[in-house]
Amino acid sequence: MTLAADIAVADPVPPAIGPWRETWLSFSENKGAVAALAVIVVVALVAVFADWVAPYSPIAQDRDAFLAPPFWAEGGSAKFLLGTDDVGRDMLSRLIHGARYSLLIGCIVITISLSVGVLLGLVAGYVRGMVEELIMRLMDIMLAIPALLLAIVIVAILGPSLTNAIIAVAITYLPHFTRMVRATVIAEMTKDYVTAARVSGARALRLMFVTVLPNCAAPLIVLATLNFSSAILDAAALGFLGLGAQPPTPEWGTMLAKAREFVQSAWWVVTFPGLAVLVTVLAFNLAGDGLRDALDPKLKR
Amino acid sequence: MKRQFLGAAVLATAVLGFAFAADAKTLVFCSEGSPEGFNPQFFQAGTTFDASSRAIFNRLVEFERGGTSIQPGLAESWEVADDGLSYTFHLRKGVKFHGNATFTPTRDFNADDVVFSFERQWKTDHPYHAVTATTYQYFGDMGMPDLLKAVEKVDDMTVRFVLNAPEAPFLSNMGMDFASIMSAEQADALMKAGTPEQIDQTPVGTGPFMLVDYQKDAVIRYKANADYWEGKPAIDDLVFAITTDASVRYAKLKAGECHIMPYPNPADIKAMKADPTLTVMEQEGLNVGYLAFNTEKKPFDNKLVRQALNYAINKDAILKGVFQGAGQAAKNPIPPTIWSYNDDVKDYGYDPVKALQLLKEAGLQGGFETDIWAMPVQRPYNPNAQRMAELIQADWAAIGVKAKIVSFEWGEYLDRSKKGEHQTMLLGWTGDNGDPDNFLHVLLGCDAAKSGGNRARWCDKAFDDLVVAAKRTADVAARTDLYKKAQVVFKDEAPWVTVAHSVVFMPMRKEVTGYKMDPFGIHQFYGVDIQ
Repeated sequence: MTLAADIAVADPVPPAIGPWRETWLSFSENKGAVAALAVIVVVALVAVFADWVAPYSPIAQDRDAFLAPPFWAEGGSAKFLLGTDDVGRDMLSRLIHGARYSLLIGCIVITISLSVGVLLGLVAGYVRGMVEELIMRLMDIMLAIPALLLAIVIVAILGPSLTNAIIAVAITYLPHFTRMVRATVIAEMTKDYVTAARVSGARALRLMFVTVLPNCAAPLIVLATLNFSSAILDAAALGFLGLGAQPPTPEWGTMLAKAREFVQSAWWVVTFPGLAVLVTVLAFNLAGDGLRDALDPKLKR
Repeated sequence: MKRQFLGAAVLATAVLGFAFAADAKTLVFCSEGSPEGFNPQFFQAGTTFDASSRAIFNRLVEFERGGTSIQPGLAESWEVADDGLSYTFHLRKGVKFHGNATFTPTRDFNADDVVFSFERQWKTDHPYHAVTATTYQYFGDMGMPDLLKAVEKVDDMTVRFVLNAPEAPFLSNMGMDFASIMSAEQADALMKAGTPEQIDQTPVGTGPFMLVDYQKDAVIRYKANADYWEGKPAIDDLVFAITTDASVRYAKLKAGECHIMPYPNPADIKAMKADPTLTVMEQEGLNVGYLAFNTEKKPFDNKLVRQALNYAINKDAILKGVFQGAGQAAKNPIPPTIWSYNDDVKDYGYDPVKALQLLKEAGLQGGFETDIWAMPVQRPYNPNAQRMAELIQADWAAIGVKAKIVSFEWGEYLDRSKKGEHQTMLLGWTGDNGDPDNFLHVLLGCDAAKSGGNRARWCDKAFDDLVVAAKRTADVAARTDLYKKAQVVFKDEAPWVTVAHSVVFMPMRKEVTGYKMDPFGIHQFYGVDIQ
């Protein structure tokens, strides 16, 4: 005990900071990323409390107010703050409920592709040999087809609906996660701590999940955040093509598609869903960039 | 110096241009697409008819310009046998066929041309039957192969059609595009030269305009037929500038690059009407947009359910939201511009309470789940089916009927619905010979229920007996009576929700005179002049 105390006194180190706090400190240096995070938090809160925040039901049609302009434009009223769409539904309410769908899509897509991708990547990186060849070549095939095209093919087979769009997008994101985990696992497997664990008798499952996987976490978090935004974008694209959410679901991409013909006559029907997608995706991208800077040891000053 | 020279050149061009304009009048029509071909026997699209049958060809009888009544065409007069089984046409003398680079007609139009035009489509062993293609779609759809018994040349200027059964709309059918008369002399010449397929690429007709040049997706050029039997057209050249995008057509019209355009964006109409250089003609279309219940499937086999869903729909909202006011609510399956329209029929008003009550009577007070098929394309009878479906979806949700909106690619949509895979679906129809039979029998008869053209798959004995009897009767007053009764049966049985008859718009420049809108949605330019 005294020895330890002596050493502590003799060799004063700065107070140890936890990994979370360290990440936050370096993340918060990036002002853009912090602002983006704030936007994400707001969007998430709005999505969670959509039923209380939105002034109307997103599918209620006001038959006396088709294409009412937003309140500041000529002919607009405070009744519909952002105007109404082509069948008299309140734009603001639809956007708010749309946030719920977009975030949900992002979360589910990432959960599916992350968990399946990690599993496949771990197995490929750990077992090597034929299994690895099989998994990785399959992933190569999937990567060879453009993501959106692959998603369209999958939706065409399963039939257009929000659930199927989510499945389709999740499948197209699998290769990214699998490849990344496999590469990291192969690199980690040669390190001393893994050898040490193996020498002390750790079995395969323990080696894979307890020893190696936590060390792949940093790049995975970054990839997940960045893919989150792409997932929202891809689901919106599928919705735009009529293959995603079906009416009257207030999904942003679907709303955008329905509004195309009003580009010249009723700008608000087109502009707001587009802006919503833009802001949300931008926020996730910026936050993802900040997170990467904060988590990547190579970029640390 | 250079600038002066340029100025002089511009001036010279302008003067030349004026001189040219004074000499030859050119009418430019910004058409909406390329024709499928120049032989109307093979196709069904209005775009093709505009470019082929209406410009280049004539028929034995013609529809009055801008109307639906029958007038003499290549036949000066005709007689119908008392039993309705034979039609004798006396042909017009001195009608000249067009000539072109490879063919110069040596004789006038005669009975051989008529026999050739029909036998080519009808007889599978005709030497020209399999040239180009073997499906003569309209001819087949109209049931002509079974209906015709003989097409006889009585003498050079007389042709007799013998039928297997009386067919009241037969004369109207002879005015339809598939019945266009082609040159038998050209066919013989081409056959001798060993190039029969040229007949469909270098069309020779008797019509007001002769084909000069065609570049796919770009332009079709015609010149006036100076020997046209009704008199030379007022314009000298006719140009179809093919422009697929409605807003581009509008821009070209504004810039004076074309004189007339079809199918404007509904949203642009207001600005067009306000433009002093343009005239916007409008006409109630000879069409109906409807929602058909698949009466073979539960619960739509129950009349009460169909009536309830009729009561639940707010048509005013649909007219405002989908047609932007350019249409009127439909109560009959035929538009009011067609004879025998029964104005005494009372429409199902918007009455959700009544709807709920009827559902309760049908034992479905809790509502049920179904689907609404909405077509993916804009049609004259329904400018936006998706939006219409969303409005109907909300209306039905109010009485507890949860509907899912389904859509497919257009060809797939027609094909699957023909097989009856839908529960309820949106569709419509534009008439093409002005006869009520063209709506009531073709869309709602028992034959059509079997072949799939009747999307409600509704075969009602009382209704079918009435429309078939009307088909077999020649007397118009008796037919009117039968059709009026059929409409009453239809309304009570409610296999459709009759949604709307739309208004068709035709914007053109102020200098265009004499244009008449065609109720069949066809565009023709004989009689049009530029000031």
